[in-house]
Amino acid sequence: VPDDLLLGLKFIFGPCAVPALDLVDQRSVTRVISPSGRTAYQVLGSSGKLYTCYSSCHFCTCPAFGFSVLQKSESLLCKHILAVYLSQAMGACQELTVSEEQLINILLADEEDEG
Amino acid sequence: LCRGGLAERLCRLQNRERSAISFWRHQCISDGKIPSDKSGVLIVKILEIFEECTIQVAICQQLEQSPATVSSKDAVINAGEPILKVLFARETAAHLKSRPQDVIHIYPPWQKLILRNADVPVIMNTYFSEKVLPSEHSETREKTSGLTKMLIRKNIISLAETFRLDDADDELHQQTPDNQVACAPQIHNNCDSKKHPLAQSAVNDSLLEMVESQGAVGWREAQVRVVIQRVYCLPAREGYGSHIQGNKPLCATPVINSDPPNVRLCLLVQDAYGMFSEVQLQPLNSADDVEQYCRRWEGKFCCLAGMKILQRATRGRALGLFSLIESLWPPVVPVKVPGQSQDSEMVATNLGPPSFCYILTVQSGEIHVEVDEEEQISNLYQPPAVHGLKEILQMDGCNERCSFWAQVLYLRLQTKQSVPINQREICLFVTDSTLQNVVHMIPKVVAVSVAASCVLSTEITEALSVTSQLIFFKDALWGNGKIICVERTVLLLQKPLLYSAAGADLSELTGPVRLDELDSTTQANSICAVRGTVVGVNESTAFSWPTCDRCGNGKLELCPQDRGSLYCNQCSEVVISPVLKMQLEVFLSCSSRPQSTVKVKVWHEMSFGLFVLINMLLSLQSYEVQSVLGKEVGLLNCYVRSVTSRLNCIALEEIVLL
Repeated sequence: VPDDLLLGLKFIFGPCAVPALDLVDQRSVTRVISPSGRTAYQVLGSSGKLYTCYSSCHFCTCPAFGFSVLQKSESLLCKHILAVYLSQAMGACQELTVSEEQLINILLADEEDEG
Repeated sequence: LCRGGLAERLCRLQNRERSAISFWRHQCISDGKIPSDKSGVLIVKILEIFEECTIQVAICQQLEQSPATVSSKDAVINAGEPILKVLFARETAAHLKSRPQDVIHIYPPWQKLILRNADVPVIMNTYFSEKVLPSEHSETREKTSGLTKMLIRKNIISLAETFRLDDADDELHQQTPDNQVACAPQIHNNCDSKKHPLAQSAVNDSLLEMVESQGAVGWREAQVRVVIQRVYCLPAREGYGSHIQGNKPLCATPVINSDPPNVRLCLLVQDAYGMFSEVQLQPLNSADDVEQYCRRWEGKFCCLAGMKILQRATRGRALGLFSLIESLWPPVVPVKVPGQSQDSEMVATNLGPPSFCYILTVQSGEIHVEVDEEEQISNLYQPPAVHGLKEILQMDGCNERCSFWAQVLYLRLQTKQSVPINQREICLFVTDSTLQNVVHMIPKVVAVSVAASCVLSTEITEALSVTSQLIFFKDALWGNGKIICVERTVLLLQKPLLYSAAGADLSELTGPVRLDELDSTTQANSICAVRGTVVGVNESTAFSWPTCDRCGNGKLELCPQDRGSLYCNQCSEVVISPVLKMQLEVFLSCSSRPQSTVKVKVWHEMSFGLFVLINMLLSLQSYEVQSVLGKEVGLLNCYVRSVTSRLNCIALEEIVLL
């Protein structure tokens, strides 16, 4: 990865860049697939909490996303989403296949938390 | 961070980049000219500018050469010139302060990004950018850019777009411009909301909403309108302001407060929902202006912006702060309740006092607090409720804040050797007409302890050491039978402009002040008046010493040249006629406290009552104690040093009231 790219990431994504790269370094991103082809991404955050990033739209369950991206439009994304994109690009995602039910639980469980 | 990982690499690159940027900026300032090396420099002219997610986006036209070399006629938008989308980081944008029609030189290293389905290339990493002013217009441009505040449209991306709900792309929704990108000094004394109507649309009236919606990172543009209930100084962590030295009214060296900023100006504010917050403003060198700030700011509205949350305080952990908040509860006008329609009859006024309070602080370099001094006092303001001391002493409860107006009679510094002098407690003995005019069961004089955490201005400390003062004690703490001045208590020389005095007798003292006479209820650390008969003399403690007649220095030395004369090294002169000072302890028999042994330390030069006595003792080579015994003494003003109940002995020290 050339230096320019890294600096470009920093320029655009600001404070998210280094933490996101750190998550990639630590292989924190897992792509979760169900037999029907549905996917979601789970990122192990620095605090040990597992956050879910949706693949169908731009969303992450972490509080920073809610504040900085949705409410204040201050950031384009959170470090977890950036880590997902970077891991995808670099092929650094861990893969996990789960049953339909398990995937539903992952997606719904986050919904319940939000509620 | 992982060793050898990408994150670590980026950190290193970032640090290098940052040093390069600041070095480049310094060079630009010092050189003042554009570096002549033009290779790789991108020259652009800004057509349109807006902000999106903290990045400034400038739609520009790329120019072949700097317009300084091109005449103004040619500087017309040429349709053939390529259009670029140039991105500037927030810091660069603040540095450039660019506007449409500005010409910017972007020095390498910058990066160009061509997106897959977009025509316009994006230029990024534009840290090394500089605005170039065409020479003919440079003067006028500088003037205009200094006066007006820049308003940059903020492009807010709709959630539909964020979630890609509608697939129509490239329709950037335009929002109303409601943000200002400008820096200003920390405290404004004029409200700008009238001059900048746009700013008003962003003003909120709920502290809680602002805090909860922003998280602990701090927010930038949105403002909250609050009422300033109290202004005070808090000691900064590093140290406390100096108190006066000594408890003797001599011409001691004045306290020179040469410490670095050691107090912080703070505001206790309340929003329209009744919620409180303590706002810590800039550090000050001394608390000298706090009286001014109190007069100008208390009760007025102010707008807060860009605060950082220092702490979420709860009652259990911040008793001092909450005792002040509780003294302002319930609010004097109905407050809003979140989520309900603001019908004033429906508002709940039986809410309990707040159980938490956010402590906010300013972020450096940005504007935060604008106090509207012109406007009237808010209805929500609760001025201090002044009571007479008699009423306060009869109050129930513990840790209640109280305000009163009292005459300081005597001052004593706590003399614990282990405590540094500027952190010592001061004990003030005060009285007012409510205490002086009573008969039984209530002391005539009350001791008010001033803790080191209560910040005193030098004006107060100087005034206190010189003469008896009428001091306004604002928000002192009453509890356990004592009045203490702690953090958030303010001592003022003048009455505040507004205060409520329900039935308090604030008349001035007429006639001389009377102290309680020594009796069986007299406690240590109080002052009283004593009269009695001399029944004994403590010969072992009697001594006299010469002092300088000019400065009062008690530590005179023998002159090296002439061993018969005395030398004062404070005046650096020989003392020709030293003043002799004497100290003596006598035992008195007092009819008001017949069972006790009363020991009084008296000082010559302060006690004319005993002057004759002492003179006799000194002049007689070997005095006859009997000749001294039986002399009547009184009334002496004394400070009670200790009361030993076991031996029924009370030790007093004669004092001079201020």
